[in-house]
Amino acid sequence: MSDIGSDGVLAGVKELSPIQKLAMHGLVFLIIFGGWEVGARLGYVNELILPAPTSIAYRLYEMFFVTGSIYWHYIITMYEATMGFIIGVSIGMGLAITAAISPVFRRYWAPYAVVFNVTPGIAVTPFIIAWFGFGWSSKIALAALVCFFPPFINTLTGLLHIDKDATELFRSLGSTKKQFFWKCQIPSALPIIIAGLKLAMTGALIGTIVAQFFSASEGVGILMQRFAFRLNMDGSFAALIVMSLMGLSLFTLMEYMDYKVLYWRRHSRMEEVGSKRKRKWLAENGDFSA
Amino acid sequence: MAEELVIQGSALGKQFGENVIAVEDANFTIPRGSFISLVGPSGCGKSTLLRLISGLIEKSGGDLLVRNAEVVGPRSDIGMMFQKAVLLDWRTSIENVLLPDEIRGTIDTDAKKRAWDHLQLVGLKDFEFSFPRQLSGGMQQRVALARLLQTGADIMLLDEPFGALDEFTRERLNDELLRIVEGPDITTIFVTHNIQEAIYLADQVFVMTPRPGRIAAQIEIDLPTPRNIDMTTTPEFNDYVQQVRDVLAGHLDGQPL
Ligand SMILES: Nc1ncnc2c1ncn2[C@@H]1O[C@H](COP(=O)(O)OP(=O)(O)OP(=O)(O)O)[C@@H](O)[C@H]1O
Ligand SMILES: [Mg+2]
Repeated sequence: MSDIGSDGVLAGVKELSPIQKLAMHGLVFLIIFGGWEVGARLGYVNELILPAPTSIAYRLYEMFFVTGSIYWHYIITMYEATMGFIIGVSIGMGLAITAAISPVFRRYWAPYAVVFNVTPGIAVTPFIIAWFGFGWSSKIALAALVCFFPPFINTLTGLLHIDKDATELFRSLGSTKKQFFWKCQIPSALPIIIAGLKLAMTGALIGTIVAQFFSASEGVGILMQRFAFRLNMDGSFAALIVMSLMGLSLFTLMEYMDYKVLYWRRHSRMEEVGSKRKRKWLAENGDFSA
Repeated sequence: MAEELVIQGSALGKQFGENVIAVEDANFTIPRGSFISLVGPSGCGKSTLLRLISGLIEKSGGDLLVRNAEVVGPRSDIGMMFQKAVLLDWRTSIENVLLPDEIRGTIDTDAKKRAWDHLQLVGLKDFEFSFPRQLSGGMQQRVALARLLQTGADIMLLDEPFGALDEFTRERLNDELLRIVEGPDITTIFVTHNIQEAIYLADQVFVMTPRPGRIAAQIEIDLPTPRNIDMTTTPEFNDYVQQVRDVLAGHLDGQPL
């Protein structure tokens, strides 16, 4: 998120000292998890419906550090989601760029992408399994399918909604289409493209896990389902938390990319990048003022 | 010495679609090195006339010559500046100024040196490596001006370049612009809504009236140069203001609003 006008949902929260903030976070955490733990231990909450946090935590500990059983599932799921992401994004962006360059393609082909989008991708899962089988490829295919649309529509929008004056400026400078594409269209579209990639990332994970629910021999999705079928609720919850962890790590990755690539949207980054470019310039060209 | 005419329009017209006559029967000659102000109410075709001259749009009738050649498209001796600075946000000032050279493939040490000097000339020393979002609106327009100078164009088409800025900044930038384009080489066409500004800057004011867009009057401004802000209170200056007003009022009388 940019620091330019990032008040957003936090507007109106009174500024606390760092220690007070930490205490606040701790307090809220304690109320939620302490209450939950006590409720479960005293039997107000049925452990078959909502296991105590410590039971879930213990199960996680076991998965990661005692049996190590989770790693393979984790890696497989991440692999499937990432491959699906890469494939879906490549196709989506490829089509968007083609559509942006060719008005004919845009008019006659792009509408199918929209029809495609309003059809819930998840509902296609049975077909995907039928076509791609029970292995990795069906998970990757569903992930790709679910995450294809946001990069497509965002890239197309970004490339087409270029400031009219910028277009005229480039034309008056005698720019070729290719120069305009690389020097103006692509960089102008980057913020919205990256927003599309963030949505796609979440979509890829959802697609992978849903496909695993349907049929799989490995992956966090099937792991969770196995626990659930055995009424092993702490195991199921632990698997859910692993999914959140995956989502979180992928999200963090995207945020990092956003931070690195979109430096001109953050004041602190502009200063950093500006002085870096200054050093580079001075090293290459010397100081013309001197 | 015979005046060299850089721009000539005769019976020049531009129509959009069936009904909108944006420019009709424009006849004018613009000598080299002169400063022309184009003034008139919104929608009277000022931007359209500018874009015709720049080669960004095609005329629908008449003749338009730049340096005795029919205008067929953008040319490297014409540069433009808009109300918005139109800077690339991801580029520092100096990188923005170098854009014309990048597009023409003429980037070298000499071009970089010129870009640097142009930034100093428009008063942006120490802001060479700032990004547009780190600059005020006035400073952004200075970068745009430096980029225009960098094109090496000697015909400058300025479409309300400082129109979005506050009064003080605008006056300062107007004076700096005059200083930069004075002399016999650079020909300037400056679009504005502001009558005083138009007169203050120009050798000649073209007054445009709408529906259809016409050049209703071309008024020579015979005030001493270099201009200075005190002149704006003299009776001669006010006579010019009145003349422009009369042209606009004479036209607008009886026109539906
Ligand atoms: N591309 C276009 N297509 C159709 N009509 C247009 C186009 N460009 C301009 N016009 C019309 O031509 C007329 C003149 O427009 P123009 O932009 O030249 O006016 P202007 O004098 O620059 O106005 P302003 O002071 O508001 O900038 C207007 O009626 C406008 O709606
Ligand atoms: Mg205009």
